[in-house]
Amino acid sequence: MDGKNREVDHEATDKLAREFERELRAALERRHAPASLKRIVMERRNVRRPTLAFPTRRRQTRMVWLERLAASLVVAAVAGGAVFTHYADERRRGEEAKQQVFTALRITNRALDHVGAQLAEQDNKH
Amino acid sequence: MATDWQPSFEQLPDFERLFDEHQSMVFSLALRMTGDRGLAEEIAQDVFLELDRNLAKIESAQHAMFWLRRVTMSRATDALRRRRSRGNNLWAELEEAHGALEEERTSPLGDRVERLLATLPEAQRAALVLRYQEDLTPEEIAATLDAPLATVKSNLQRGLKLLRAKAAIHLKEYVRGV
Repeated sequence: MDGKNREVDHEATDKLAREFERELRAALERRHAPASLKRIVMERRNVRRPTLAFPTRRRQTRMVWLERLAASLVVAAVAGGAVFTHYADERRRGEEAKQQVFTALRITNRALDHVGAQLAEQDNKH
Repeated sequence: MATDWQPSFEQLPDFERLFDEHQSMVFSLALRMTGDRGLAEEIAQDVFLELDRNLAKIESAQHAMFWLRRVTMSRATDALRRRRSRGNNLWAELEEAHGALEEERTSPLGDRVERLLATLPEAQRAALVLRYQEDLTPEEIAATLDAPLATVKSNLQRGLKLLRAKAAIHLKEYVRGV
């Protein structure tokens, strides 16, 4: 008897569950989309297509970043050029100073040779 | 539903026709996932514009429907995540969204089921909406949500149980056998 009651209960529970699912399915029928949806989508679609005539926000953002990048490159090139010129100038001045030292050494060397030659000549006379 | 459009690999499917056929599906999925008409409309717009960008990849009518369901569920989940991260009061928004559109209601039971549905965990809600609105099998739901089949079945069972329990309290006058 208990087994039969349990079976009846089980069947009743299944039936209630099926009934609930049926009512849920009926309650969750698709809803109509608002009438404005199509108009807005079509407008946005048409605005997006001629991208050159009407730049989108993403395109505008990209252009701003490209402009910033180009400006950064120009600044970097100018700064790099200034640094390069500064070092080249310093190097040139260093080279000039070196040449002056060499010239002075050559003059000194020549004077010493001359003095040495005179001393040798005097020694020969004596 | 789109049944007579034959797949063509040589020409793009007609966007406007796809829109007309699937707009109520996309809007209803977004509405039932977010519980917010305004947000659902925004999601539907974005989904269809994304479809327009990906029209060349659509291979058939079935593929279009699968693609739309999948992208709609994904966008709705993203929107809910963004709303959570902003800390908005979902319940206040739900009240506002439903209260403001009283005149648009056609089925009081449907409205109240939607409100109860919005109180379920997101994964269970997604499974139930796809099962009972779209009439998908658990396998199709798993493919749409990119989730394991066992997880989908579990979410369906738990979601249904929870919804019945909530309906027993809130929808006595409408639902029999709860």
